[in-house]
Amino acid sequence: MTSHDDHRPEELPTNTPHPETDPTTAEPTAPEQDVPTGADEAGDDWLGLSSLSVWANTAIVALFMVPSAIVATVVLVVVDQPLWALLPLPATGAFIALMTYLDMLRLRAVRYRVTADRMEMRSGIIAKAYRSIPRERVRSVDVAAPIYVRVFGLCTVTVGTGEKVGAGADQLKLEFVTAEQGERLRRELLRRSGTAGVSETSAEGEDGSVDEDGVELARLNPRWFAYAPATTATFGIGLGVIAALVGANAQSGGHGWQWISDRAGLPGGQQMADFVMSQLLLVVPLFLLGLLLSGVVILLLAALETWWDYRLTRESDGTVRLRRGLLTSVSLSVEGRRLNGVVLHEPFVLRSVRGASIQAVATGLEGGDDKKTSAKSRLSPAMPRSRARTLGAALMRQERSPLDVPLAAHPRAALRRRFTRATFVTLAGVALAGGLAWLHMVATESWWEVARTIEENVIPIPLVVESVEATPGWGWFALAIVLGVLAFWYAVGSYRGLGHGLHPKYLVLRKGMGVRDTVTLERSAVIGWRITRSPFQRRLGLADVSATTAAGAGMYSALDVGLGQGLAWADEAVPELLAPFLERPEGAEATEGSRPAPLP
Amino acid sequence: MSNDALRLRPPNHRVDRRAVGWWTTQALSVTVVLTVIPVVPALIWEPVRFWFLVAAGVLGGIGLLITAVMPRWRYRVHRWEITDTAVYTSSGWLWQEWRVAPMSRIQTVDTARGPLQRAFGLASVTVTTASAAGPIEISGLDHELATEVADQLTDSTEAVPGDAT
Repeated sequence: MTSHDDHRPEELPTNTPHPETDPTTAEPTAPEQDVPTGADEAGDDWLGLSSLSVWANTAIVALFMVPSAIVATVVLVVVDQPLWALLPLPATGAFIALMTYLDMLRLRAVRYRVTADRMEMRSGIIAKAYRSIPRERVRSVDVAAPIYVRVFGLCTVTVGTGEKVGAGADQLKLEFVTAEQGERLRRELLRRSGTAGVSETSAEGEDGSVDEDGVELARLNPRWFAYAPATTATFGIGLGVIAALVGANAQSGGHGWQWISDRAGLPGGQQMADFVMSQLLLVVPLFLLGLLLSGVVILLLAALETWWDYRLTRESDGTVRLRRGLLTSVSLSVEGRRLNGVVLHEPFVLRSVRGASIQAVATGLEGGDDKKTSAKSRLSPAMPRSRARTLGAALMRQERSPLDVPLAAHPRAALRRRFTRATFVTLAGVALAGGLAWLHMVATESWWEVARTIEENVIPIPLVVESVEATPGWGWFALAIVLGVLAFWYAVGSYRGLGHGLHPKYLVLRKGMGVRDTVTLERSAVIGWRITRSPFQRRLGLADVSATTAAGAGMYSALDVGLGQGLAWADEAVPELLAPFLERPEGAEATEGSRPAPLP
Repeated sequence: MSNDALRLRPPNHRVDRRAVGWWTTQALSVTVVLTVIPVVPALIWEPVRFWFLVAAGVLGGIGLLITAVMPRWRYRVHRWEITDTAVYTSSGWLWQEWRVAPMSRIQTVDTARGPLQRAFGLASVTVTTASAAGPIEISGLDHELATEVADQLTDSTEAVPGDAT
């Protein structure tokens, strides 16, 4: 989801407008003046934002401020301050009027146009800003319409380029234009005139309608929402809800609980605790169930909001278009040429129920960091894995799906490295357990008393300290052993997750245990190699071989691959690049892990 | 562990010999600063003097060890090469890195000289591509050579069309 409010042009005008030297456009406050009716194909005249956008902003400000003003008035009347009570509403009104006026000035100053080879935007009255993006640099067009904007028939258009000049400098944002204008911009900006290789059937000329959708790659299946709760966050979010309730209760000094129990005729806290302790076996599962349920509900709602009305299409010019969203409807278009691959994204919990989702590896979808990039690149909700694989294959338009390429395993030494790490984790766990067991032993009756008091103040139903006190000292070591087993299981899993392979057009990489990502990256999109070796890797003959690219996360790595194996793979993936820098000591055959099939 | 298979050959050129002096000075100054930090409270605060001096000693010892070993090691590893088609570098000491970028994907070429580098007559060449993996840096070149290299790179990248993404 894109944020839509935080990118206002900074130079809010604070003065009366200059006589703008814009002879072409009339006053934008005149209603419907701004809807272009196909007259700008010559690309000469500047367009303004929709005049309605002022009202959208006013409405949202009013929606938040008027109710609070009314509440303030009522409160002041109640506390018998009638004179003061006259203040909030007019003040709010004046404030909103001022905001509206300023917004109107901003709106009047913003002008944009799309010419044959550039998109230009002017803004600001005092500090004038002019920005211009060559159209060939436009990589993605993001059309978003949060609900309060959508009721006015408006939308936000964000034009992304692949530049990495600095945060925020790589995009151009229009807030807001009419929905038709947004749709037109989306189509126009990604339509190249001189691009070879893209079959341009200009079926949609001037129709401006949304009917011509191209090939549908995926459409929401409501059953997929069943995968939504399958995340590690289920537990975390549930825990967060409970903790928040408990925290609120503790903040009010337990009054909240008292209040509820008084109303509902529930027994008091002490009786409750006694009752609970006697039924511990019942309460713990119930508590966990509550945890799980609240998590499930929240995740379902989030998935519903994000993925409602999900559709993924490829339009006639190769542009891939994503549409989704319930309250904020989002339309994201990525130029087909810039979609350099896909990621099959399988977090552990989702993977264990045979689900997966698809993300794009595309230029122009970068967020500030890897996490934002990954969020921006999502092309599908969690869906059955087989469906996700089909979708990935359809996106790459290959006869034989790169996701089906058999992957070469990494050397056993990679497993040994993971075992070493697991051993360290286990040792740390045992050491910690020893320390805790020792503390457990020296802790006296009075200490337990203190701990219990603390817990009683924090949680309405104290459980933890009691059960800890009751556990014998060796319980800590049992926990350490469980941790050790988990660590080694994780090590084996992450070794099994490692893999690399080659498709005639794509290179394929897989890694991860907690989150397993299978990345396909077009071989022609590789813009360099980076090989790193730690002292341990040098000893074991391993290396991390990474392909650098302009798309997606910028770098995709084959971790702990055998040096010879990895270099052979890299050399084969991009033939002319690495070859001059390789040497074959005694002309030995490279360990061939990945055999690309003959070209289809 | 297929060590009989492919290997990376080291790039052709070493960096300037003066880089050893530059790295030594760098490491030494960091060591001095880190050692002085715990010495100050040790001087003014009697009861904990011993422990702070121990900390200073440990930091200083590690720092001196690194100062003695790292520059020579780096000098053996740091190398660079520019062919008609690509830039190839190796760097690091304990953790080592090799980078290759094709000429056609280079976006910008810069040279930079910090005050310390200038004192040794050195300069760095930074080669940026469109990738988020970070630029390729050849540090510790003779400053005239660095300018020459940057010019040569700029010329050859300009000869290649395309927007380097």
